[in-house]
Amino acid sequence: MSIRIERPEPHGGRLIERVVTDSAAGKKLAKSAAAVFDIKPTVDEKGVPVRNVYREIMSVCYGFFSPVEGSMKEAELERVLKERRLLNEWIFPYPILFDVSEEDHKKLGVTSGDRLLLRLKGKPFAILDIEEIYRINPEEVATRTFGTPENNPEVVKEPFDKKHPGWVIYKSMNPVIYAGKYKIINEPKLIPPFDRFWYPPKKCREEFDRRGWRTVINHQTRNVPHVGHEHLMKNAAYTGDSEPCHGILVNAVIGVKRKGDYPDEAIVEGHEAVNLYGYIKPERHLVTILLWDMRYGNPLESLLHGIVRQNMGCTHHMFGRDHAAVGEYYDMYATQILWGKGVPSFGFDKPVNEVPYGLKIRPQNMAEFWYCPKCGEIAYSGNCNHKERQKFSGSFIRGMVSEGVFPPPVIFRPEVYKVAVKWWKVYGYPFVTPKYLMEREKELEVDLPDMDV
Amino acid sequence: MAKYIVVLLDEGRLKKLEGSGLEKKVEKLFGGALNAFNVELSDEDAQRILDEFATARVDSRGAITDVPVAFNRVVFEEIAKTKSLGSEVMQGVFARLAEIKEMAAKESEYLPPPDIEV
Ligand SMILES: [Zn+2]
Repeated sequence: MSIRIERPEPHGGRLIERVVTDSAAGKKLAKSAAAVFDIKPTVDEKGVPVRNVYREIMSVCYGFFSPVEGSMKEAELERVLKERRLLNEWIFPYPILFDVSEEDHKKLGVTSGDRLLLRLKGKPFAILDIEEIYRINPEEVATRTFGTPENNPEVVKEPFDKKHPGWVIYKSMNPVIYAGKYKIINEPKLIPPFDRFWYPPKKCREEFDRRGWRTVINHQTRNVPHVGHEHLMKNAAYTGDSEPCHGILVNAVIGVKRKGDYPDEAIVEGHEAVNLYGYIKPERHLVTILLWDMRYGNPLESLLHGIVRQNMGCTHHMFGRDHAAVGEYYDMYATQILWGKGVPSFGFDKPVNEVPYGLKIRPQNMAEFWYCPKCGEIAYSGNCNHKERQKFSGSFIRGMVSEGVFPPPVIFRPEVYKVAVKWWKVYGYPFVTPKYLMEREKELEVDLPDMDV
Repeated sequence: MAKYIVVLLDEGRLKKLEGSGLEKKVEKLFGGALNAFNVELSDEDAQRILDEFATARVDSRGAITDVPVAFNRVVFEEIAKTKSLGSEVMQGVFARLAEIKEMAAKESEYLPPPDIEV
């Protein structure tokens, strides 16, 4: 029996690629559209952007969400909500939907069989070949997406409400759904600083080949990394097969975030500073992005993370407690329950990499790191048995940053902290604010070439 | 569990305390890399802070966190003024609540970045 761990194939067996790179061909497709629609952000009740569907179109068409190819049909939505499976059997956690208002639907006058041209920032961007039009009750979809304490007692502790940013995304959607496949017909250019972190799955797998990485562990992030994160990355990467993982892939989720998270620019450049300044060799560490308005769905988000990172070519994925969580809606170990024994009410009576049409990527469930003065080091909770532990509490660190106190190097590497301050000076604030979200919504992460249709 | 406020001390703040006698009350965090005071609170004072500031919460160690930055700044100023970590600090802080809240209202939109080279 070989103990060598090989790179898993993409979820669903092959990478989805729905990007037309030839501009003449793209133009031809654009011209064949029956109607044109300018993509708008989804906004909450105060008018603050909570999601832009363009990020989902990018993630679908570049294969991050393989095997998903577009906006889900009604039967598929129902199956995802009930069993977390697509109609082709492969597991998938979230509804992926293209929603329009009744008013816009009336104006567009499209029916199934029509091709819709989607514009972004005023330029042709993608087409949606409409196969089905149906209606949803957004609040019901929101609640069923995340679960309830009654229906999902294994992991859901509190009913979801408007304080949960992911629930608000689905609740704020329009009621008319156009289902069908997306195709990007005018290839966007990522804008700095995001451009240098753009590694869609095909390119990412090629990069692993170039670097000679067979085993790669992923680190999910929505944070400027403090030293606790750095130690999580370094220590989790000791897993592998006969030797530690060859590579550490940081995949930062870029999109709308909650108040108190760091700006996206600081997140990617903060992680990059970890390798630029030698804390982890650049040869072993690669920072990349995923365009996605985070749903903060703890176990469900971890399932999406597993799919995306398997598609990118990772063999392992580290998960901490409170993975991609906000508030106390889920059990703090909900992700580890999903990957360790399964959550039957979500459709998984076994761990998600043991069910049929499940995942191949291996979970590395990690507990906690803290600073222990007695050990004199950043200690792992499974090792250190001392009482003097000093935890990397998020609110403690946010407080320190807000006051402008220069953090000691056991909390933040100085170069990483300076990245946070650099973007603080740009936006007047160290963390995400509604003003930041509105400014970012105007620019997004891409520019589009001119395309005369 | 006794509740307290952590007041972080960087070099500038330590300078303002020179000769106050408070230096020996400095707690060393993170292996001596970070200096701080732990200002212990009476139950009434702790409750009042939680009542006055909607974001404030008590973390697992008993520290009150997520208060406005202006609140923390005034706590330090009152320590420097009274040269004490006793109950007169919070008396001084509560006397300046209106001022703190006015500053805090602006904090959701703007926080002055530290003056360092980046
Ligand atoms: Zn220890």
